[in-house]
Amino acid sequence: MEGFGYFVGLILPPVTVLVFLGGLAYRILEWRKLAMPKLTLYPAPEPGVDTFWSVLKATFFSPSLFKADRFLWTGAWVFHAALVLILIGHVRVGMDFPAIWAALGINADTMSATVGTTAGIVILLATLLLTYRRFSIPRVQEITQAGDYLALFLLLTVIVSGNAMRFQGHFDLNLTRGYFAGLIRFQAPLPPLNGWFLAHFLLGQVLFLYLPFSKLLHLGGIFFTHTALQRR
Amino acid sequence: MEASEAQKERDAVLAEVIGLKKGPAALRMPMEICARCGTCAEVCPVYNGKREPRYNPALRTERIRSLYKRYATFSGKLLNGLVGARDYRGGEIKEWAESFYECTGCRRCAVFCPMGIDHSIMTRKARSIVHKLGLTPKRLLTVTEISLRTGNTDGASPEAFLDVVEFLKGEMKEETGLDIPIPVDKVGAEIFFVPPSGDVLVNPDAIMGIAKVFYVMGTDWTMSSRMFDGANYGLFTGDDASMKADNLNYINEAKHLKSKVMMMGECGHAHRIMKFMMEKQGWWGKLPFEIINVMQFTADLIHKGKIKLDPSKNPQPVTYHDPCNFARSCGIIEEPRVILRAACKDFREMTPHGAENWCCGGGAGLSAMDSIQEFRMTVSGKRKLEQVRATGAQFLAAACSNCKRQLTQLMEYHKEEVAVGGVHDLVSRAIVLPKPN
Repeated sequence: MEGFGYFVGLILPPVTVLVFLGGLAYRILEWRKLAMPKLTLYPAPEPGVDTFWSVLKATFFSPSLFKADRFLWTGAWVFHAALVLILIGHVRVGMDFPAIWAALGINADTMSATVGTTAGIVILLATLLLTYRRFSIPRVQEITQAGDYLALFLLLTVIVSGNAMRFQGHFDLNLTRGYFAGLIRFQAPLPPLNGWFLAHFLLGQVLFLYLPFSKLLHLGGIFFTHTALQRR
Repeated sequence: MEASEAQKERDAVLAEVIGLKKGPAALRMPMEICARCGTCAEVCPVYNGKREPRYNPALRTERIRSLYKRYATFSGKLLNGLVGARDYRGGEIKEWAESFYECTGCRRCAVFCPMGIDHSIMTRKARSIVHKLGLTPKRLLTVTEISLRTGNTDGASPEAFLDVVEFLKGEMKEETGLDIPIPVDKVGAEIFFVPPSGDVLVNPDAIMGIAKVFYVMGTDWTMSSRMFDGANYGLFTGDDASMKADNLNYINEAKHLKSKVMMMGECGHAHRIMKFMMEKQGWWGKLPFEIINVMQFTADLIHKGKIKLDPSKNPQPVTYHDPCNFARSCGIIEEPRVILRAACKDFREMTPHGAENWCCGGGAGLSAMDSIQEFRMTVSGKRKLEQVRATGAQFLAAACSNCKRQLTQLMEYHKEEVAVGGVHDLVSRAIVLPKPN
């Protein structure tokens, strides 16, 4: 397990960070260069602040999808909401901020045990729902590609391995904090040699490596497209 | 010889596809962020007409997307199928020529797509590639050529136009006892009215309605005997050069007539090109006239109480079909309703309506193509037929010549007793005119 630990914990992370940040930055810089003629789709909001809010609303709540496909909207929205909570929670994996939690009046461990655990289960259910949808609905099935299965596979395995760490007894976050602290100081520390952790960390990194080359990139592009349609 | 033809085709297609990398955003973004969620299919009039992969919008545009990934992205060159890339198949442009003429360009997908992707933009781009390779459907090429040569898509001569005008004046005289003018080629007239030629030659009731509105208001207006058709098929074939050439004829005519206002008639794509493409993008610089639509004009007069309509003249149930270009692309949604509510006793909305209305099934030039009539009647027009039936309307108003052609055929094909006409057809019947002396 030590060799595997070195690979996942020492060799892969810098590659992941470079590819993910570099890929994302490259895309967004490219997109910003593109001509964006107005393609106003009516009824369009008034120019200015109204347009800004309307684009934000389309991006975060997708009201039109709510009308067109309630099933997909529910699955997708719940998935993304849980994802945001989980990503915020992951801050504590690298570093703890007791002073901030105290100032906010939050008991971080209780929060993690309740909100974190719930989000982990909810995102699993949402992803299963979206997976079921992809397999069962003809109009979705007929446009599905290898990349869609890959994305779902990575998401599901990352989620399952992450949840497993919660339910397989106590996982001590001080181990990961020590490891990440060493990593950012280039001290080449060995990551915690816990099977679920290594699996989760590896799959998570593969997901981030794949992201700039896949449709998961919509997280950066959606602002551009909605703006083109809503500007007058 | 054959090999080099194939090579030429491949090079031409791939050059265009790789060119998408440079934008515009509406073409490049969908190459990279489509989540393949299937929402476009769920709201597409064609896919709803027949649920087959062939009609799935995301699968249609995947033809372009997969090539873009293969030839314009690093990941596609490296990972190929894993990121949805594939090689170009020789001769497949012929499939494009069919497939992209099975999209009505109605933009309904763009209304609902959570990623903000507008398939109509890709359809037009694909058609422009098809056009470059000489595979545009023959009917549309012919119409484009006729329009550039004669100024109208029906190929009617100025003499024929003048005959129609005389006939319409006679009709109105007989009906009302009034001498209601239809001025032609009047230099200096305040308003230059540009209808679709279909409203002159096929369904002239709308023109009579508009002439009556102008008569009541004492408006100084004119039509042109050489330029009386706002229709412009370059929008449909993706051929920018012919679209602009056709458009320029009308701009020059408006300048020649020294009009202050160019008033577009009941023709959605004509209004869209004039107001939202030509004017907005400044094709010909600053214009000495403003561009409005006749429905805005009449609705405004009704709103201000300047014209009176007698709804008892239109007692039958009436419904309104929103032409895609008017509703989704021009935002002219409320105006026709203001007019119809004032002109009809029993106005009924379709479900859904306005910007979410279903396409007639003949958008983006399909309406003119008799070669695909079966498809238009049984697939792309299916939803519209169901919608119209559900209203129980006996008169179906549509402010668009292309919609009217498609809808008239649709009602006949399915043996529905529903008359199809324009919005101003009903104004023509209902408008309260002064008593003749």
